[in-house]
Amino acid sequence: MDYINIANSKILYLLAAMVIVFIMFQSVIFLRMAFKRGKEIGLSREKMIEAVRTSAVFAIVPSIPIVISLIAIAPVLGIPFSWMRLSVIGSQSYELIAAGIGAKVMGVENLGDPNYTGEVFANSMWIMTIGIIWGLLLCIFALKRYQNKMKKVAKKDSKWAEILVNALFFGMLSVFLGQPIAKGGLGLVVMLCSAAVMLLLTFIGNKTKQNWINDFALSVSMISGMAFAVLFTSIGIG
Amino acid sequence: MAYEDRVHRLGRLTAGIAFAMLFLPPTLVSLYFGIFPPVNKLLIGIGTVCVIYIPIAVAEFLTYTPMLGSSASYLVFVTGNLTNLKIPCALTCIENAKVKPQSDEAEVIATIAVAISSIVTTIIVFIGMILLVPLQPLLEAEVLQPAFMQILPALFGALAGYWILKQWKLAVVPIIIVVLIFVIFPIPSGTEGALIPVMGLLSVLSAKVMYKKGFLKEV
Repeated sequence: MDYINIANSKILYLLAAMVIVFIMFQSVIFLRMAFKRGKEIGLSREKMIEAVRTSAVFAIVPSIPIVISLIAIAPVLGIPFSWMRLSVIGSQSYELIAAGIGAKVMGVENLGDPNYTGEVFANSMWIMTIGIIWGLLLCIFALKRYQNKMKKVAKKDSKWAEILVNALFFGMLSVFLGQPIAKGGLGLVVMLCSAAVMLLLTFIGNKTKQNWINDFALSVSMISGMAFAVLFTSIGIG
Repeated sequence: MAYEDRVHRLGRLTAGIAFAMLFLPPTLVSLYFGIFPPVNKLLIGIGTVCVIYIPIAVAEFLTYTPMLGSSASYLVFVTGNLTNLKIPCALTCIENAKVKPQSDEAEVIATIAVAISSIVTTIIVFIGMILLVPLQPLLEAEVLQPAFMQILPALFGALAGYWILKQWKLAVVPIIIVVLIFVIFPIPSGTEGALIPVMGLLSVLSAKVMYKKGFLKEV
């Protein structure tokens, strides 16, 4: 039997669906717990509902590249496994790299090579699985201790704890800003366009006190930046 | 039981189940269909992937969990897509809700943000899978490729537009350092992630100095 028939077999679909349903279920449990806890500590229902709205709108645009990765890996790894991996744990870039490593050590240069056999497929699957578990293991075994330590910092100096979290975020942000700034080109143009649109929308949102503008600001800015990328490429800049 | 302990118990339980479930597909292929990769090749592959991803996992764990709080952290390490989706989403929601980072309120908001965004992503990926055939020409259209290639600069540009304006003092040092790093060292794209812990540390150190000097009072 050709491996792709195994990769697209009903039983794998069933397993993938099971995993995804479980993860959805987990999200719902945590969501319920968060709402209960919010009520306990006096967080207003409006604020929590607003977080639901903001995050739902936020998630739409960054999810599109995940669907594109699905198109890229599904022909090689089969639809169910690709679907599962991209819906839960991992990220688009990780799955491609890990699957590629699985192929390379078997002497297959690229995903989708004719030599990509059942054995290579199994190898990719195992390697993708074992490579991704570490963050999860750290949470299971070390999160409690680490969070307790952070709580102590926050208790001692809550102002500093707030700055600390923001500084960590700026560390991450700087990495993704640094590359387009250093390299210039289309990436930099897109970054500046989307930053400018975001500034404008935030300004309008704050001036008019319309909160819904803030909800959509990030998605609209991203789409504007991406539209500029298409525009600039088609007129030959970048 | 205290709320904190309940979170950790539930988090460990669900993360443990998710952990076991992740191994189901490869186990099925190997045991049910009888396809075993050669052990030596498998071990080399596992070694390679671990060398790259264990440090990244440690860095993500150390950097992201303080931003999220306990319950959102358990969820985010199961649902994935941290840098490109969950972390910016959670921080945006915390900011919009006007609650203090690292507070109990922030933990609630972060959990809502991570749960909702992972449900939305799951739905979109599901729709994408069902519509794979009709969507493929659109998503692979030549003219749209620049848009998808530039999705990270678009996301981080928008975030920067908001955050730098608000807290430029925290942004200056890490951005200058990281631009110098990118100019001096040829860092291949796809491996930038390794810089996140380094920059996180440098950013925290510079913030600490500024804080001690009383330069961050109004942040």
